[in-house]
Amino acid sequence: MAAALLQWRNAYRLGRARALGIAALCAVLVVGVLLAAPVGPALRWLAGSPLATFAISACLFGLSTVRRHDRIRSDAATSWLAALPVRSSLNLRLASGAAARLLAALVFLGLACAVGRVAMPLALRLALVTAGGALAGTLAGSPLRGGAATGSPGWHYASVRRPRRYWATAPSLIPLSYWPVAQGRIFSRPSTSRVVLFALLAIPAGRRDPGEVAIAVAAGCITAFTLLSLSTAAVRVAGNAARWLAPSGVRLRAFIIAFLWQVALKQVAVLAVTLFLACAIDYQGALRVGLPLAAAYVAISCAAASVACVWACRRAGLGAGRRGGLREDRLS
Amino acid sequence: MLLVRSVHAGYDKLAVLSGVDLEISRGEWLALLGPNGSGKTTLLHCIAGMLVPSAGGISICGHPLRTDALAAKRRLGFGCAPEHLPGLLTGRQCLEVYAAAKSLSAIDADVLELAEQFAFTDVLDRFVGSYSLGARQKLAVLLALLGEPALVVLDEAFNGLDPAGALVLKKHLQARVSAERCGVLLATHALDVVERHSDRAVLLLGGRIARQWSREELTALRAMPGEGLESALAAASAGQ
Repeated sequence: MAAALLQWRNAYRLGRARALGIAALCAVLVVGVLLAAPVGPALRWLAGSPLATFAISACLFGLSTVRRHDRIRSDAATSWLAALPVRSSLNLRLASGAAARLLAALVFLGLACAVGRVAMPLALRLALVTAGGALAGTLAGSPLRGGAATGSPGWHYASVRRPRRYWATAPSLIPLSYWPVAQGRIFSRPSTSRVVLFALLAIPAGRRDPGEVAIAVAAGCITAFTLLSLSTAAVRVAGNAARWLAPSGVRLRAFIIAFLWQVALKQVAVLAVTLFLACAIDYQGALRVGLPLAAAYVAISCAAASVACVWACRRAGLGAGRRGGLREDRLS
Repeated sequence: MLLVRSVHAGYDKLAVLSGVDLEISRGEWLALLGPNGSGKTTLLHCIAGMLVPSAGGISICGHPLRTDALAAKRRLGFGCAPEHLPGLLTGRQCLEVYAAAKSLSAIDADVLELAEQFAFTDVLDRFVGSYSLGARQKLAVLLALLGEPALVVLDEAFNGLDPAGALVLKKHLQARVSAERCGVLLATHALDVVERHSDRAVLLLGGRIARQWSREELTALRAMPGEGLESALAAASAGQ
């Protein structure tokens, strides 16, 4: 636990600008969500449907606890402290993670109450039900584990693509884009993808009953999670890819196009399926609101990943880059 | 072919190289020796264009890295550190992407043959992340040899290789060097490789070239019973 805290502290000290940037982005997102019109009715509906709220909270906390359980065990198995004869702090770390997430949810509720999106009594009821669901979900999720083997970095979540027929006689940069896509799959876990499919197929059933609304909300969240996993993977992998290819002399534009095209294609495919299914509910609304939103998301995601690529290439000295300057801990 | 002139380089405020001069010609195998932290990897990163020197210049086949990086890199084969290989691509995909990145129309037949000799073809369709250190090292070497580079730069390439693989690699590099197809710069701690295969060796100490051994001196060291490069290296290091 102490080692994990020290790692967090060092990560903050080494990348203060990045950490503060992420914090600012989160703050902007929270403000944006608070200002969005449907937040008030949604919170009131959740407060008025305690059973559904309890179930949603329990499911989300249970799922996140299982994922965290896997991650902690994997980290512990490969940690530099793995050989030490010390007791595992697994339960403490699971509890602290759940407490942090619950605190974030309660702060959000407090802010919503402060800006008048929901009345105080409803907010209190919602907070109690959410906390109850969180406790139940965390307790239920703690003894469970996902499919990951201990210490496994998650390769089994990504599938090996069949080699191109002319890979040796006409080599192409195309397979480079398999890397961020595979990383995205590891982030999102294919088990989540299966849930996405069922949830998406449930959308056209309607959105009037609370259960249907809950399924639609869950599908939306999971779709967003899948898309964000891909975007995050592209940004995260860009640096490693640039460093690997820096001595090859590949041109910057060729690198960016090859690296991003499958990520963009996959995001377009996910959004197209979501829009298609949403059209079954409200054809006009889906096209009027969904299409511009989807296009904006793909554009912003590609732009962010491209900026990450350019920055990574400049750092790694890829192409004709003149800066270089890798941070290396190995100088021999 | 490789010309390194008064190179100074470092990371942030840490100066690692202070005025390194080096020259390699085609058909020459140069071993770069030095204790941990002496700046071997930093020098190789400068030559690969991954780190820009704060002073001095590097040129490969007459193309300065500073002003003509793409042309210089086209003549370079750099064996990256095994941990920097893409874990979520297969070995085959790595070869294909790297060949395309070097604008090759096909993957060299002798690189594929070397993969066969390494007994590497069985793992070509597995994720690199699942490879052992030796398998990663073999892949890094194969990537470095793609496209008939005029200068091959390898960092601890024999580290983790099994004896059979190491022998195959030594013979392959020796054949390339003997045929004057390339020059080799190898940073290593494996003194047997230096004694038996290198034409020259340089010792890097504290970011400077502290000592050089010519082909004749290496031959003489090899012939000395009970002595050899290890003792010469220790003496040179102690003298600094």
